[in-house]
Amino acid sequence: MEYPKIRNFMLLSVCLFSGLTMSANTTLAGEGKYGGELITAFSADPGGFDPAMGPSGMSHVVIEQVYGTLINLDANAQPYPGLAESWTQSEDGLKWTFKLRSNLTFHNGEALTAEDVVFTFNRLLPEDSGYSYRSQIETIDSIVADDELTVTFNMNTVTGPFEIYMAFPGSSIVPKDLVESGHDLNAEPVGSGPFKFVSYSPRDSIKFVKNENYYEPGRPYLDALTYRIVSDPTALSNGLKSGEIHFSNEVPPKDWKAIISKSNMTDASLEGSRYYWMIPNHERGALGNPLVRKAISTVLNREAIVKAAFFGQATPMLGGVIPEWNWGYAGISMSDPGGNIEKAKELMAQAGVEVGTPISLMMVSSWPPMMSMAPIIQANLNSIGFNAKIETMEVPRYWDEVWGTSDFDLTVMYWLSPLADPDDFVTNTYASTSATNVHNGGSKKMDDLMMAAKSAVTLAERKSLYKQQQELSLEDMDVIPVVNGWVLTAHTDRLKNFKPMRTGFLKTLKEAWLD
Amino acid sequence: MFIPTLITASIILFIAINVVPGSAARAVLGLQATPQAIKRFEHKHGLDRPLYVQYVDWAGKAVKGDLGTSFQNSVAVGPEVLKRIPITLQLAGTAFLLALLIAIPLGSLAGLRHQKRADGLITTIATLFGSTPNFWLATLLVYFFSLKLGWFPTGGFTPFREDPIENIKGMILPAISLGIVSSGLLIRIMRASVIESMESNYVETAKAKGAGDVRLLTHHIFRNSIIPFLTVGAVEFGFLVGSVVIIEDVFRIPGIGSLVLVGIINRDYPVLLAASMAVTVIVLVVNLMADLCSQLIDPRQVRTMER
Repeated sequence: MEYPKIRNFMLLSVCLFSGLTMSANTTLAGEGKYGGELITAFSADPGGFDPAMGPSGMSHVVIEQVYGTLINLDANAQPYPGLAESWTQSEDGLKWTFKLRSNLTFHNGEALTAEDVVFTFNRLLPEDSGYSYRSQIETIDSIVADDELTVTFNMNTVTGPFEIYMAFPGSSIVPKDLVESGHDLNAEPVGSGPFKFVSYSPRDSIKFVKNENYYEPGRPYLDALTYRIVSDPTALSNGLKSGEIHFSNEVPPKDWKAIISKSNMTDASLEGSRYYWMIPNHERGALGNPLVRKAISTVLNREAIVKAAFFGQATPMLGGVIPEWNWGYAGISMSDPGGNIEKAKELMAQAGVEVGTPISLMMVSSWPPMMSMAPIIQANLNSIGFNAKIETMEVPRYWDEVWGTSDFDLTVMYWLSPLADPDDFVTNTYASTSATNVHNGGSKKMDDLMMAAKSAVTLAERKSLYKQQQELSLEDMDVIPVVNGWVLTAHTDRLKNFKPMRTGFLKTLKEAWLD
Repeated sequence: MFIPTLITASIILFIAINVVPGSAARAVLGLQATPQAIKRFEHKHGLDRPLYVQYVDWAGKAVKGDLGTSFQNSVAVGPEVLKRIPITLQLAGTAFLLALLIAIPLGSLAGLRHQKRADGLITTIATLFGSTPNFWLATLLVYFFSLKLGWFPTGGFTPFREDPIENIKGMILPAISLGIVSSGLLIRIMRASVIESMESNYVETAKAKGAGDVRLLTHHIFRNSIIPFLTVGAVEFGFLVGSVVIIEDVFRIPGIGSLVLVGIINRDYPVLLAASMAVTVIVLVVNLMADLCSQLIDPRQVRTMER
């Protein structure tokens, strides 16, 4: 997959491709069919609807329908104009100027102007803002409204993935006047996106209706959109099989084949960025030794995990955490997909680990893939001399004890990267300051390398630096990449022109219609 | 008894949700819970105050009818609970009615045919029903009646006012899943009650006068047997309301049970307390109604109380 060509012109990128890209990303009026309600299903409740506060992926799939961002990403994660019809980057790479479309309005009828953009980012920037993705915008020095429709971001360093960050749901533009009047966006979101928020009922549904004043002419096609919250995986599968649910991109792997084999269902699955990694606590005995962590990575039977936990719908991660479809993929293959016991035993011997060393594997009891891979990992660990036991916890306790106090030996976590930029894959996993650094890992060398890759001027430079980063990550083996689970998507064959996104987002639903 | 029971229940639940490991901030913020985000979340929701202050604050507002807002998504809890009570009552009520329709005839027949083949068969059925996990039964019912035969939806809820037929169709399988399991205990209670009545002098006299089984049951046994059955039935209804937590989740029914689950999973005490208070009120009202019914059936109970 090629990275957007726009990134190859970093010195002065004049992005006046509103016409060009729009034609690539939209369907001509008259092709589609208007009307209808699409019923989709998700497994969890959102954690709020305010872009500044909504921390979860489930919040983001709501936020992306209701709000607008300066830039959008298409199905292949290519940027195209959103609220901004064009943008330019200064020669030194430190100034981004966005030109907003004229006549933009929020769902409450208020005009959307440069002042709203400035307000939005000034709300996210303070260190105590509580914004979970602040690392994306920390290189913004200041934001200035040049006129009603022009806004300039002054950066304190060149930021490679800046355009991608501007397409992230957290960067959605919120109505200044409404928020300043005390309106709680968390309870009732008001944006400028393709759908208007109607209602939310916990553990039940979120309802939307079409935004008749959406800035893209003729979009969306659907009159209404309903997100059903179905936490029981079997109930979700049954809903899809019976046709009561039209769409889900969280199809349980165990039921995937049965669902897509139904004559009225379409498979839209693809390898995305939902990767699983094993987290060894560096402060727990032998796990502080990189040789031991490498031994665990070497013995890991990723092939068996793909079969048992994902029913074949995952890709073993044999190198770094950047998947093969991404431009940052380094092509490193360090591990044998089926594991290599002899090589791993050699590493254990070099590390001087005693046979029978106890180790515990902490898993979340309600996450099926984790529970399915646990016995495989346990057997792999035992085969190289550990005495491994599996422990389980319910989710809130897990967050508190494992994530909060780092009270664990080994655990597994997954992350559906909401961005298609390598920075999001690696910074989240390896930065010493990341919220996910519960294993007490990280190094200055790694942090510097990631910052250099993020700030590099050309794509070639960034690619080369990410290769070095991945090599270093496998040398340190701070964490152990396991598999990349596919975004399993199935929908009714009545849904036309839907293009699945590797990020698992549903922005492209505005282009789809029901036959 | 209403108010002290509600206060006690709310204190126990409040302590329980705060004693179990896991915080609301981390449950909501998950993977990206930075220390700053946690601090801000806890301050925003007053979770950085001492527990007794949090409880007194909640209780003070609850007395005035303000049950607070969800930590997770700012949904006003009171209206959400009120919206869901009729749904849970419809499900639990239908399930209970079904349990009664099964238990009263079968239990009566088993009692009348005490230690005969019919008694053995019905007792076995009661044991089977009572020991069946309702979520397992629900899965089987969905598989056969929804996915194979297509007679009923696999889940979901349609308000009665919107479409009565769809509403009833959507309630049948969940009600069967709950009702069948509840009927197991009720059959045994009804049977035991009838056997006890059968051994009384007035039934012996009626038998001596030549009364047949049907007359014995309808004129002499039923009224006396139904009183202990009602008392146990009210308690069983309480269990049934508790069981809806799982069944509502399996059938995607937006009742009180699914709200209780959200409250527990997210350590969201305004949601959990409000939903649990609603369940407590339902159980108390049903027990009160059972007591009143018993007094109507047997006026001696009123006279005993008056003395």
